[in-house]
Amino acid sequence: MKKIKIAVAPGSSCGGCDVALVNLNEKLLDITNYADIVFWPTALDFKIEDLEQVNEIDIGIFVGAIRHEDHVKLAKLLREKSKIIVALGSCACYGGIFSLANLFEKKDLLETVYQKTITTENSNGKMPTESIKMGNIDISLPKLTNWCLPLKNLIDVDIYAPGCPPGERVLEKLYNIIIDFVKNGTVPDKGIALEPLKTLCDICPRKKPEKIVIRKFKRIHEVKLDPELCFLAQGVICLGPISIAGCDANCIKANIPCRGCLGPNQDIHDVAAKFISAIASLVQIDKEKELEEEEIVNLIEEIVDPIGTFHRFTFGSGIFNKKQEDVME
Amino acid sequence: MSNRDNENFEPKIVAFLCKWCAYSGADLAGVSRLEYPPNVIPILVPCSGKVDMQFILKAFKEGADGVFIGGCHTPNDCHYISGNYKALKRFTLMRKYLEQLGINSKRIRLEWISATEGVKFAKVMKEFVEEIKKLGPLQTR
Repeated sequence: MKKIKIAVAPGSSCGGCDVALVNLNEKLLDITNYADIVFWPTALDFKIEDLEQVNEIDIGIFVGAIRHEDHVKLAKLLREKSKIIVALGSCACYGGIFSLANLFEKKDLLETVYQKTITTENSNGKMPTESIKMGNIDISLPKLTNWCLPLKNLIDVDIYAPGCPPGERVLEKLYNIIIDFVKNGTVPDKGIALEPLKTLCDICPRKKPEKIVIRKFKRIHEVKLDPELCFLAQGVICLGPISIAGCDANCIKANIPCRGCLGPNQDIHDVAAKFISAIASLVQIDKEKELEEEEIVNLIEEIVDPIGTFHRFTFGSGIFNKKQEDVME
Repeated sequence: MSNRDNENFEPKIVAFLCKWCAYSGADLAGVSRLEYPPNVIPILVPCSGKVDMQFILKAFKEGADGVFIGGCHTPNDCHYISGNYKALKRFTLMRKYLEQLGINSKRIRLEWISATEGVKFAKVMKEFVEEIKKLGPLQTR
């Protein structure tokens, strides 16, 4: 049996997805029986030139979002050489937490980081330059792209393996895809490496009351959480109703509500808008008519940051994934 | 549509109107031959509580400059008991979401219009179109 070639390329990522891959433990050794890892800079000392020299890759795994021009170059190169492209982790799949930066223009981001934070001392207002000449050596930094976007906005993606980081179930499915590809030459169907139409609520072990009603929104430090009862029924925001099932409800079992890292059920186009439709309708059910409209509005306005709360991992793949330029008063 | 100060700017407005009240109100405005601007594209929905907030974003993405939701009067007019309250609650949060996105929340409007209020429908549409004209075209990216 001929060994296949696997490459793992990093984009804007925290390294957690690479750790998740290493966490495959013995299975990783098993994979090396079937495959050569030809590129994985996070784990071993590879340079982009090493990838350029490889003729053909069977499975190219991309980790992280697209934030600067080296990511663009790497992703395009990987697509050119690979038969199957896997977007691993929520950043590669949906933009991830990094894509929340799209709420600001690039210029404002740089100014904030290099000049405006309280802990920054930069009285000359120096900004990072993209290249500098020292003697005869050119030293350069890759230029930031205007926006931070998921992999699919740049290249064609075959398999999505989301999660922050991808959990056991996702990785197992990915592992099976790789083994199946090596042994039988099966080219996997395009799409997500999970059951696409099940939500976390379907597999959640908590007790759900007949009718879930929110009388007041609470944050997790404000309430002693009942470990058996649905979070929403306790007034705590949990993204279970729209998140895809694929994590064995690990956070839920640790008494922490879902933040939606696995991304949405496949028929949802915009996570935040869909979740707004879901959560808002739970407020004060059956009591609305006794209250003034204003009281209901005030209750709902307690949610201060809809994008940060509902679009935490998915802003880069929403219907609008960037700050718009409308006239505001 | 690139010029914000364009005096000839004719906004596109998508109006989701509930079957029982607002749509009938719009019908009444029609049969009563009341004048209101032709910028409104009415979409019949069974109830204002049916309007998914994704519809609003999609409308903006596809070129709408304003989105209107019309439902039955609170507290007791809704044919499905509390669909109008659902719309109100979602609308409140949606306004916040749009502001965060950088879209002026005046571009969406929610009104209760009964089947007998053709006059109110025409008046609200006039106002809304004026308001959106002042804001200019929505430029998305």
